[in-house]
Amino acid sequence: MVISRRMLLGSTAALAGTLALPPLSLAQGEPIRLATLTPLTGAGGPYGPVMVKAAKAVVDEVNAAGGVLGRKIELISEDDQTNPEAGVRAARKLIDVDKVVAIIGTWSSAVTTAVAPLCWESKTFLATVSGADAITLLPHQGYLIRTQPNTTLQGRKFGEFALAQGAKRVFFLSPQTPFFQSQLDNITAAVKKGGGEVGSLVYDDKKPSYRSEIDEALRFKPDALVLGGYTPDTTVLVKDLYRAGYKGLVVAFGYSVNQKLVDGVPAEAVEGIYTISPSPAEGSKAYERLVKLIGVANPDPYTTQVYDETNLIIMAIAAAGQASGTAIKDNIRKVAQSKGGVVVDNAVDGLKAIAAGKAVDYDGASGPCDFTDIGDIADCQFRYEQVKAGKITLVKIA
Amino acid sequence: MLSYILFTLTLGGIYALLSLSLNLIWGGAGMVNLGLAGFFAVGAYASALVTGAGAPLVIGWGAAIVVGLAAGLLVTFCTLRLRDDYLAIVTLGFAEVVRLVALNERWLTRGADGISGIQAPLKAELGTAGFNLFYLGLVAAVVAVVWFGLRRLDLSPYGRALRAIREDQELASFAGKRVLRFKFEAFALSAAIAALAGALYAHYASYVSPDHFQPLITIYIFLGVTAGGVGRPLGALIGGYAVVAFLEATRFMAALMPGLSPLQHAALREIMVGLALILVLHLRPQGLLPERIPPAPRVP
Repeated sequence: MVISRRMLLGSTAALAGTLALPPLSLAQGEPIRLATLTPLTGAGGPYGPVMVKAAKAVVDEVNAAGGVLGRKIELISEDDQTNPEAGVRAARKLIDVDKVVAIIGTWSSAVTTAVAPLCWESKTFLATVSGADAITLLPHQGYLIRTQPNTTLQGRKFGEFALAQGAKRVFFLSPQTPFFQSQLDNITAAVKKGGGEVGSLVYDDKKPSYRSEIDEALRFKPDALVLGGYTPDTTVLVKDLYRAGYKGLVVAFGYSVNQKLVDGVPAEAVEGIYTISPSPAEGSKAYERLVKLIGVANPDPYTTQVYDETNLIIMAIAAAGQASGTAIKDNIRKVAQSKGGVVVDNAVDGLKAIAAGKAVDYDGASGPCDFTDIGDIADCQFRYEQVKAGKITLVKIA
Repeated sequence: MLSYILFTLTLGGIYALLSLSLNLIWGGAGMVNLGLAGFFAVGAYASALVTGAGAPLVIGWGAAIVVGLAAGLLVTFCTLRLRDDYLAIVTLGFAEVVRLVALNERWLTRGADGISGIQAPLKAELGTAGFNLFYLGLVAAVVAVVWFGLRRLDLSPYGRALRAIREDQELASFAGKRVLRFKFEAFALSAAIAALAGALYAHYASYVSPDHFQPLITIYIFLGVTAGGVGRPLGALIGGYAVVAFLEATRFMAALMPGLSPLQHAALREIMVGLALILVLHLRPQGLLPERIPPAPRVP
């Protein structure tokens, strides 16, 4: 068969025509992409995998109920290696290659600070669980929220609690973290107000023993010790504290003295330690749903927060009627804290309410999830627990 | 996609500079420098602090080079009597010292918060996309200049003297070479190049923190130089780019494996990096572009 010039021209034109068509019709079915960027390896390794699980559970649930805006949601998970340099590389890939509209779950404050500029420059929404005060002060133009209460609030709670337990001399032991200083300042402010004294010591979080640090802390003759580290270093610290014969009050973060730590050290070493954490609204419906969804009995605060962030972002997309970082930025507060809106505890119910044209007020597994203008959590309850006979038992929520 | 490729190439350039720095001192003079991340950090912080205080960028980069040189001289001075493994251990210690100082001297470095908002040259004028392209060009140009200079050095009598020291320090000294001086100069120059890479990185990422400078980056650079070819600047340069390309490629390779959780993907990537190092050492220990050793002149 001889191909005439006219035939060739005609078929080429037809081919070009078909090439031009599909994107229009396919766009409807293309999934909305969300990403988790959590630590899966490195120092944050113990926390990240469960966080991913929570986000995945929400996405699966919403997809099973028909997705959002008639589209499925696709969740892409990358590892930030608890390292800002690796985190930036991963975020670049998520933003430029996968074209995600939101990144959820950056944990280390350094990773969040490194990744945030990429997000606001590319108009990608960032929901983080990092606690450093400086993060919400970045010029993020609204493209960032965090569900972790900032340290100003947390520090005060630690100080007030120690005072309430009758301690006058409080010693703060912490590794060097972005929130060490503000934590200390706020503990000091609270304790001084009650006529007490505060001492502090910064330690290296990778040491195999903390005998000399503990000796120094005990020279201060503290009635109460506040531990500011994470699980790996706090494990070593509580064992050495026990060996040193310290009998006073010990208060630690809920994410460091968790069930894993309690199970891993001799029972006497951790008996009586108090923990304070931003209260996952335990007993709330969202919390119970989460426990059931991921099959983890005591999800840590980060996991509850990632669960909430994922729910909020999906609802914000629905409320906006379009999937983009800017749309999420403009609508997230509408679904998180609409006054007089329908109170919901999961995205599936929220999507129904939004479809019915109602305003929505999300109350999550980590708390009420209301945000200030700069993206901090507006109000947060704290959960006070104590280790009793090898079990972490609730003292009060306040 | 395009901006991702630009980003990867820019980062590749910065890794290539580090590789060139390592190649000069390890491939050239035979001194194992495990403190590369430390010099990288020194340069990044120097430039971030100087420009943060209001100085123009050129001064910042100049400061990075000067501080890098000084740090290089200091470390050489402290390690005069050490060779091989012992030198490696002390330099590794140096990198950790730098990281700990950055972590704890809050008045200077803002501690674990790190320094954010470091000025990015011409970003406001060029826009984000334009800036990415401009910076890629800038980094590539710096890499080209440094590579050209090191290649000249490599082929010059100076380079031969360095190699003589690498092969046999005593012999070189018998031949009238001032071994100590060569070591000082080579180490300081290598440190300055690493510091310059740090400065370039700081102004590209606009943020540095102690967490950026974990020893892992030194290991990546060793992987790059080994794969590219120890003792040959072009090999090191290619190795630097290759290691970034490989690190990013593992992301997509891991994703090809179906039925794995994100955690398993992350673990798989680490396995691939380890495996690559073992394979390179097994199959091609001399690297992609091995060192060229000119034959000895024939004596009639």
